[in-house]
Amino acid sequence: MTRSPSSRYWVALGFVVVLTFSLGPVLIMLSTAFDARANDGSRSLLPTDLTLDNFAFVLDEGGFVTYLRNSLVVALSTVVVSGALALLASVAVSRFRFRFRTSILVMVLVVQMVPLEALVIPLFIQAKTLGMLNHLIGLVVVYVAFSLPFAIWTLRGFVSAVPRELEEAAYVDGASWLRMFWSVLFPLVAPGLVATSVFSFIVAWNEFVFAITFLNDQQSYTVAAGLRQFFTQYGTNWGAVMAGSTLITLPVMIFFIIVQRRLSEGLVAGAVKG
Amino acid sequence: MTAAPQVQPVPSEDVQSPPHRPRPSRSRPGAGLTPGWLPWVLQAPALLVLGGLLVYPLVRVGVLAFQDFGLRELVTGEVSWVGLDNFKEVLSDPLLWKVALPNTAVFAAVNVMLTVAIGTAVALLLARLGGWARGFLTSAIMVAWAMPAVSGTYIWVFVFDSRDGFVMRLLGQLGLIDPETTNWFTERLPFYAIATANVVHHGFPFVAVTVLAGLMTVPKEMLEAAAIDGAGPWQRFRFITFPVLKPVFAVVTILSTIWDFKVFTQIYLMPGGSGTNREVLNLGTWSYITAISQNRYGLGAAIAVLLTLLLLVITMVYLRTLFRQEEL
Repeated sequence: MTRSPSSRYWVALGFVVVLTFSLGPVLIMLSTAFDARANDGSRSLLPTDLTLDNFAFVLDEGGFVTYLRNSLVVALSTVVVSGALALLASVAVSRFRFRFRTSILVMVLVVQMVPLEALVIPLFIQAKTLGMLNHLIGLVVVYVAFSLPFAIWTLRGFVSAVPRELEEAAYVDGASWLRMFWSVLFPLVAPGLVATSVFSFIVAWNEFVFAITFLNDQQSYTVAAGLRQFFTQYGTNWGAVMAGSTLITLPVMIFFIIVQRRLSEGLVAGAVKG
Repeated sequence: MTAAPQVQPVPSEDVQSPPHRPRPSRSRPGAGLTPGWLPWVLQAPALLVLGGLLVYPLVRVGVLAFQDFGLRELVTGEVSWVGLDNFKEVLSDPLLWKVALPNTAVFAAVNVMLTVAIGTAVALLLARLGGWARGFLTSAIMVAWAMPAVSGTYIWVFVFDSRDGFVMRLLGQLGLIDPETTNWFTERLPFYAIATANVVHHGFPFVAVTVLAGLMTVPKEMLEAAAIDGAGPWQRFRFITFPVLKPVFAVVTILSTIWDFKVFTQIYLMPGGSGTNREVLNLGTWSYITAISQNRYGLGAAIAVLLTLLLLVITMVYLRTLFRQEEL
């Protein structure tokens, strides 16, 4: 196809527009977080006075050291538990034929659509009755449930991709099912487990509704809940908000960049089996 | 046209199954080593968690909607049934018809259209780019995708803040508005326009990446043949690309609809979104505020049930589209 000069011009313009729209908010966040005059009404778009004071304030007086540790504990526990449960369940649904298999798969799909707002009311009542409010373990249990459907659905594809011949070879060599699972299936599914772990981590790290509902003791805040304290009736400490946001956002972005290639490959594989 | 490849949808926002599928008809060697109860043992923990934390609460919220459940009931554990009273109260509340439902449905419709349109345009742009430019732009939209809802919302609030925001100051300097007296968060339309920017910014990368993957399957020969026959870019998109990608579009549209119907964080965290400004409530925030902030759990549950039913209808459409495409 021929490309006229004017169409090249449009492509270049589109490139700039999409780039600005995509990165603009992140750049504003970073420039404000590092700006010594972040809360000065007259500040310019790019900081004139670079500083780490906002971060120091957030970590120290803002209590973010505690919140980051809480978030990390919650997210890592979620990753481990949900990864283990999802792996076992995905092996069951992709390697075995049994009654209700399709019903279980449909259920896994449908529960993903349930709005959090519908679950937060009964789970809040339940947690209050059980005395689980302000305990991080309560959040972990909830986040495991939220990340499971997606993890099962994703791992199911990875397990199906392992050729049955490898399993059969293990059986021929006298391996039991458990031995086959550990020495054959698990190493081959490990990359898929990495991808689902990243997503479970992000679910737990970013979650906000349950964090503010279950936790009202400052000591047990996660990062998403901790940011709210910089909004007071006397005004907002934007430098602190943006420094805190940076601390929340950076781990997620790093993880996204790690899985980016796998993610696009996976989407290609899933979307277009030609 | 018959040579069009089979395009299959993405079941969800995920890393999807590689091409090999188990062959169900074949008898499994080694079946003697794996007893029939093994799959149930393997999935029991996951099913317990899903049942206890997703299915049971869903049933519980349905039951709560028929009860008068407040602080007293929460403490004593007593139950008082009120039949359909909660639903009657919600359905006869002008807030539902004039505020919450339009704020949910119109917002979702507008956002889905914008997200899919912008995502598709970006995918077409990415397909035209080559080499480093495509990789660079893909990474940039991944950054937008990775932005957590909490920090993303705070940034958009900051940008439009009446005292400190760039946009306000710029418009003020141009003399278009008076920053001292203008607050865009108090009125419904500007409030939701800002929320739209936030939601579209977060949602378009998924559409772009998925549609781009689909674009790769459109046969080049067909596009070239059409170009030789004199079809312009729009006609090529309309009559070749779009029909081939129809299943992909169906899935990204339905998934975006589900996500945009249940936006919560992006509304709740905006000024006035947590209940102080009733004009900007949507079904999700209304339900949450009624139950958790006002301790009227039964009434909040009734609102949540309405939202869930709405989403259930959409999910049915989603499942039907999916099942037509792919055998589970």
